Amino acid sequence: MTAPLYIALRFATHRKRALLLSLVGVVFGVAIFICTQAQTQGFAQYFINSTIGSSGAMVLRTKFQPRYEGLAVAAKNTTGATNRRNYFEGVSNVSEIMRVSRQFSNVVACAPVLRGNVSARAGFENASVEIYGIDPASQLKATDLATQIIAGKFDDFSNNTSAVIIGYKLADFLNVGAGDAIQILSPGGEYWRFTVAAIARSGVGTVDLNRVYAHARVAQRLLKKPYQASMIIYKLRNPSRAPELANHFEELFQHRTESWQEREEGNLQIFFTLQVSAAITVSLIILLAGFGIFNVLTMSVLSKVREIAILRSMGYRRIDISSIFLWQGALIAGVGSLLGCVLGAVLTWGISKVPIHIRGLLYTNHFLVVWDWRHYFWATLLAVVAVFIASYVPSQRAAHLQPVDTLRGSSL
Amino acid sequence: MNGEVSLSCRDLERYLGKEEERVHALRGVSLDIEAGSLHAVVGPSGCGKSTLLYILGLLDQPDAGSIIIASENVSDLPDQEWSRRRNELIGFIFQFHFLMEDFTAEENVMMPMRRLGHLSESEMRDRAAALLHDVDLGDKLRRESRHLSGGEQQRVAIARALANDPQVILADEPTGNLDTRNSERAFALLADLVRQRRKALLLVTHNRFIADACDWVHEMQDGRIIGSHPRGQRGSITTNV
Ligand SMILES: Nc1ncnc2c1ncn2[C@@H]1O[C@H](COP(=O)(O)OP(=O)(O)OP(=O)(O)O)[C@@H](O)[C@H]1O
Ligand SMILES: [Mg+2]
Repeated sequence: MTAPLYIALRFATHRKRALLLSLVGVVFGVAIFICTQAQTQGFAQYFINSTIGSSGAMVLRTKFQPRYEGLAVAAKNTTGATNRRNYFEGVSNVSEIMRVSRQFSNVVACAPVLRGNVSARAGFENASVEIYGIDPASQLKATDLATQIIAGKFDDFSNNTSAVIIGYKLADFLNVGAGDAIQILSPGGEYWRFTVAAIARSGVGTVDLNRVYAHARVAQRLLKKPYQASMIIYKLRNPSRAPELANHFEELFQHRTESWQEREEGNLQIFFTLQVSAAITVSLIILLAGFGIFNVLTMSVLSKVREIAILRSMGYRRIDISSIFLWQGALIAGVGSLLGCVLGAVLTWGISKVPIHIRGLLYTNHFLVVWDWRHYFWATLLAVVAVFIASYVPSQRAAHLQPVDTLRGSSL
Repeated sequence: MNGEVSLSCRDLERYLGKEEERVHALRGVSLDIEAGSLHAVVGPSGCGKSTLLYILGLLDQPDAGSIIIASENVSDLPDQEWSRRRNELIGFIFQFHFLMEDFTAEENVMMPMRRLGHLSESEMRDRAAALLHDVDLGDKLRRESRHLSGGEQQRVAIARALANDPQVILADEPTGNLDTRNSERAFALLADLVRQRRKALLLVTHNRFIADACDWVHEMQDGRIIGSHPRGQRGSITTNV
């Protein structure tokens, strides 16, 4: 053990109460940082997983062709209308696009969907719904639909072309359960009769309120569409790289392609704002803890002026003296962040058990948290940096005390 | 540190205080303290004895003049070099025996050894015990220094000054608080070390018997050395006892 560390430990035991108090500041700063991050990210992550699970990480839809204008005009005015496109409804060459897409390493699975807006009826209730004409097998691979079923059976849907799966909020609204019948109004003006084979809960409010899954062939006839699919939805190995892949596919296939980040931009902004506001609150706590440590160490330096002069007179260098106080800071930071991480984990666990009833943007019965080692890493780093800054000034002050002033001072 | 180390200073000037309170505490002090000799500084209170010792002990900067330790002018060396010399070469006994209060007698004596870092924990402990035994405190090793009497604290301070076996010992009234027996004993300890181990000692004292036992006595007044007397030629010195 080096001499400064030894002295730091001894000094620390002389001022237990003050040090304990500053330790408590660090412990709470770290713990609260961890559990606020775990919560805000917990809700965001749940939402992201739900939206990717029900609507895919990336969606390809609507064929386009660049619109070529007169060359002379384009040359003169290059910034103006060069990016104009002509859009065509539906996806052309569905199987070819899917075949090529599957060769991309980031693509886990893809599924064609024929989408349309219709109105549904059960009893006296009417609702406008979004019909998803799907191929059951591909849909299972590309989305979490199977795990979202909360009533009925997915197989009852697969095996019966006149069956549908509907969102649980829609089921509540229409007051139907698995096995009941609903009617869907075709654009031609006739009601088609379907059996509700299963009810799904994706966790995303709008999906659960609007969506009706039907078989693609049936949907195509119902909607009277000339094409098999109006979009292809993708499951990706690394959803965070969806925007790059979307851009690439848009070029490659000449179809409008949208990543989940683009689709959920508005909601993601809400979560981001929450996370930032939590981070600001926590920073204030850590700032306060840092201020406390600054005070404690400054007091400690003042109360040890005599000892510092003695140590200097025995040949302790300035750096030894500053190390004594930096070590005290390091002890607070080390022990504080260790205890803080433990307390943070306990609080996070406790919070994940707190019941809450959310049925809006997302569906949950208790607080959502994520367990991420990076939260612990950043909390510790933040505490260490804050404590270092807080102990640096007092330690320099101690190092630059003139021993002779103290030694002589007592002789007057 | 083998070899002899002598200590000298030339034309030291020191002003203390600011503005109107400014005092010319040292007015051109020169001294030569060779290894193996005992030097005493005597003089009335406030004449600048402690000021001189702080400067020789590299604890304070003179406003002018130079300090030479082991034939090296150390006046302009950086702070860390001064610290190193304080640790390795100089043992300082303060007029007001400064001990670290919350530490035991033994721990106080071990403090300079920790900085030097040449001994293991148990070797440091053994050496501290031996040094404290020499000042008759062998039975109070583990006592917190705040619970020691003034005289005991002073003896701990003597033991501590000898911790790293320094070649130069500077002592500001090392026996001021001690009874006759203990002050004789403490002085004998220092004198033996100086004679046998060829160290250089400068001590401030008001005790005429101690001054008489030194090889040289330097008389100070108003920041000047007004006379330096070798043993046996100092009938007229006025020491205030
Ligand atoms: N910080 C200071 N500011 C101004 N003057 C000071 C200061 N410290 C000491 N002095 C003055 O400097 C002079 C020398 O002081 P010093 O302590 O060296 O005296 P001394 O010879 O050791 O006295 P004593 O025998 O009482 O210990 C004294 O007149 C003292 O009043
Ligand atoms: Mg004095």
